[in-house]
Amino acid sequence: MARGAVAPGAEGSAGLKWTATIGLLVIVAVPCLFIVIQAIFPDFGSGSLAAPFSMFFKTLADPDLFGLAGNTLLLGVGTVLCAAVLAVPIAALRALFRIPFALIWDALLLIPFMIPPYIAALGWIMTLQPRGYLEQITGFNMASLLFSVTGIMLIMGLNTFSVVYFVLSRTFETIGARYSDVGRVFGAGQWRSFWRITLPLAMPGLAASLLLVFAMSIEEYGTPAALGRRIGFEVLVTGIENRISEWPIDLPGSATLSLVLVSMALIAFMLQRWLLTRRDYRIVGGKPQAHDKRNLGVWTVPATLLFALVAFLATGLPILAILATALSRTISGGLALSNLGLDNFRQLLGTGSDGLAALGNSLMLGTTTALLASLLGAITAYSVVKGRGRFRIVLDALSITPNSLPGVVVAVGIILAWNQPWLPVTPYNTPFILLLAYICILLPQPVRYATASLHQLGDNLEAAGRVSGAGPLKAFVRIVLPLILPSMVTAMILVFAVASRELVASLLVAPVGFTTIAVFIWQQFDQGSAGLGMAMAFCAVLITTLIPLLLISLLRWFSRGSVAGLN
Amino acid sequence: MITKPPAASGNPALSLHSISMSLGGNRVLDRINVDLAEGEVLGLLGPSGCGKTTLLRLISGLLLPDEGEIRIAGSTVAAPQTGIALPPERRGLGMVFQDYALWPHMSVAKNVAFPLEMQGVRAGTCKDRVVRALDRVGLGAMAERRPSDLSGGQQQRVAIARAIVAEPPLVLFDEPLSNLDRELRETMVDEIADLVAELRLSAVYVTHDHGEALTLANHVAVMREGGIEQLASPDELVNHPKTAAVADFLRLGCLLQATRGADGWTINGTDLSFPAETIAGSQAQVLLPEKALRLDASGPMTLRTQVVRSQARSTGHALILRLAGTDHVIRLLSPRRARTGDGVDLSFAPEDLRWFPVGEPVH
Ligand SMILES: Nc1ncnc2c1ncn2[C@@H]1O[C@H](COP(=O)(O)OP(=O)(O)OP(=O)(O)O)[C@@H](O)[C@H]1O
Ligand SMILES: [Mg+2]
Repeated sequence: MARGAVAPGAEGSAGLKWTATIGLLVIVAVPCLFIVIQAIFPDFGSGSLAAPFSMFFKTLADPDLFGLAGNTLLLGVGTVLCAAVLAVPIAALRALFRIPFALIWDALLLIPFMIPPYIAALGWIMTLQPRGYLEQITGFNMASLLFSVTGIMLIMGLNTFSVVYFVLSRTFETIGARYSDVGRVFGAGQWRSFWRITLPLAMPGLAASLLLVFAMSIEEYGTPAALGRRIGFEVLVTGIENRISEWPIDLPGSATLSLVLVSMALIAFMLQRWLLTRRDYRIVGGKPQAHDKRNLGVWTVPATLLFALVAFLATGLPILAILATALSRTISGGLALSNLGLDNFRQLLGTGSDGLAALGNSLMLGTTTALLASLLGAITAYSVVKGRGRFRIVLDALSITPNSLPGVVVAVGIILAWNQPWLPVTPYNTPFILLLAYICILLPQPVRYATASLHQLGDNLEAAGRVSGAGPLKAFVRIVLPLILPSMVTAMILVFAVASRELVASLLVAPVGFTTIAVFIWQQFDQGSAGLGMAMAFCAVLITTLIPLLLISLLRWFSRGSVAGLN
Repeated sequence: MITKPPAASGNPALSLHSISMSLGGNRVLDRINVDLAEGEVLGLLGPSGCGKTTLLRLISGLLLPDEGEIRIAGSTVAAPQTGIALPPERRGLGMVFQDYALWPHMSVAKNVAFPLEMQGVRAGTCKDRVVRALDRVGLGAMAERRPSDLSGGQQQRVAIARAIVAEPPLVLFDEPLSNLDRELRETMVDEIADLVAELRLSAVYVTHDHGEALTLANHVAVMREGGIEQLASPDELVNHPKTAAVADFLRLGCLLQATRGADGWTINGTDLSFPAETIAGSQAQVLLPEKALRLDASGPMTLRTQVVRSQARSTGHALILRLAGTDHVIRLLSPRRARTGDGVDLSFAPEDLRWFPVGEPVH
């Protein structure tokens, strides 16, 4: 019955359809449109359509652009290489052999997902810089590696490789169990069957996750800004940020660079989607089966040490550095017991402090973004699933567009769109502008969760509601929405965690005098109050991770058995 | 007991006029005509993919027809020519789905109360009517449970309670029992039959099980490839199948080939012969109804068969016989056991055979 036939008589609510369309137009299409217009008409800001394309081609021909695009590509490819080198061996070990404490390593490798990359980068700076913690402990520093292109790649690789690790170890495990054992039955040895069967079959999954790492690294602002600026290594993201935030402001330039960056992200995204929807990848999806893993023998200890080292570099070191800095009375006091104290936390959380205000702002914005993005996401996904014809195509396209919109580009689009002098009213210079930016950046998450959940729902549940006398809107509110709620809550928590510490869009569009967690950390670090910044970073990681985890367990506890709807 | 007697309006509960429908480029339904009087049950019977669900979705408003007109209790609910297209919620129907379609986030009582709530029935009245509907299906004690905590049969009873609680002028059943096992199916058929009779429900009952259709329905429409092959009462259907396809689908008996020779019709592979004027044409199909066969050689006509298999049943022995000289298989229930390879004589009267012309274009 669940043929997914779309019934002309029982279309989804027209109201919802229009809500989704208007919401997406305002939040996604308008910023994109203004970037394109600005790139073409350099004087658009002063109301003139003169000299179309003049700056466009000038910027495109600018050697600066080649430099920036080249650096971006270099950084993306380098990060992908680092992530692959870090992830592939341990993923293979994890999938094919018995590793002591395997679940603990898995749990530790999840932590990089919870630390925003710019915070980890700041932790690395505190450790490796001259007179940093490494030098205090061992007597030498690695500043020359840290402030180098390789260093940036390594640190970004450490921040992103766990994506690859988790995808790949799961894929290896599934394939290992299903196919490579077959290969061994036919006489291929352990290594032969890994190289000849497991690895080739895992290729699409590996490629897709590496493309995700590529997209993440070319969109990243914090790490290249913190490390690259000191050595004059600029990428597109920092170049765009420069052009829009530093005098002389170059709107057409930032718009054109944005288009270049979006094209790169779009290509990565399309390639990734294509890889994931290919049929040969699907055969290796599904659950890893119980699988006889082999003993490592004499290699057990070295393999365990390798896991420990990787987990320490990816998780332990940045967190320890953050904590050490936050707990130091003064930075110059260094790692000494006498220098330990809670002064930074006291100053951060003292009544009426800027830090407390920033925390409050971010939590407020994070919560609102989570609610609105999820509602819009659910309505959009529903309208797409129920929709037909041109409407459906437009909505679908609009809802996945932000996948390839880096935060900095969203910020540029929003500035261009909502800072036009001729606008009678504008959310610009109010906290609402941050809300628009966050929703745009994060919309793909709730849409993805809602779509998956809607596809699991039998068609007849809604049909039964309609036949029982509920109109389209009522059927959505009373039946569809409650049934997809559990997965929407997961999406909300994800959106909250990311939105409450978003950096680059917040730096660019936050109203004057309005700070968020990320802006606060960034400013403190810039002004040399690293201790205060790191105290905030620590609180941020704790709050944005702890609150969500608490919510998830509460939800599990409340809904024991009662949300059996999705089976 | 649900009290309100159906309004004696004299309008047919349902009438379909020349309904056609294409899905994905296929003509799924082709000029369907049906009239159903109030208080009667129409069985829609047919093999998988013949368009039963599609027809039901058209009646419910979950789909709109390409052509034709649908009237429910006298008012037109869909007529593309005149632009009438009532959405499902304004047709006031009850519907029971094959997969139950109970809402897992609501209790049993809430599920059943939903249609009343949508009609704006006051809370007090609503509660009474929910209790009565649940009692009707024997689930009064389970009102506060979650649907997921019920067995399949209980879930389907809840779905039935939900479909009848608002006393709709027409209830639609889409293969309601096909997800249940056989014993349960047989009890539930009787329960539904009682319910339908007591409430004088007008209903459309879709199934691919001819037993269910013949038990429940006043009229049965046998569908095939998007058309209605025959629409008749169960008796008429069993005694006078209109086509060989209907006879085959209803498993009325053994279908044999016959050829007209110089001195009349002969059944291929046998020496049974019939007068030339039985039917026109040169080839024909003959139905040898199972219920016309007797296990003796008393005539007036007899057949020699050989036992292929004999299976013990609770009601006797199911014999599978092969008609001597042919590959045709006859199934027959016998009080006695038989050994494989034994010869068995069967008798029947020639007037009990049904003749169907061959080569006639399929309509
Ligand atoms: N959305 C659709 N697009 C194209 N063809 C469809 C669609 N839905 C149904 N069909 C086709 O229409 C025909 C009738 O389908 P329908 O579901 O009405 O069959 P049915 O009689 O209910 O079968 P079953 O007994 O298996 O439930 C089938 O051939 C089916 O493949
Ligand atoms: Mg069906």
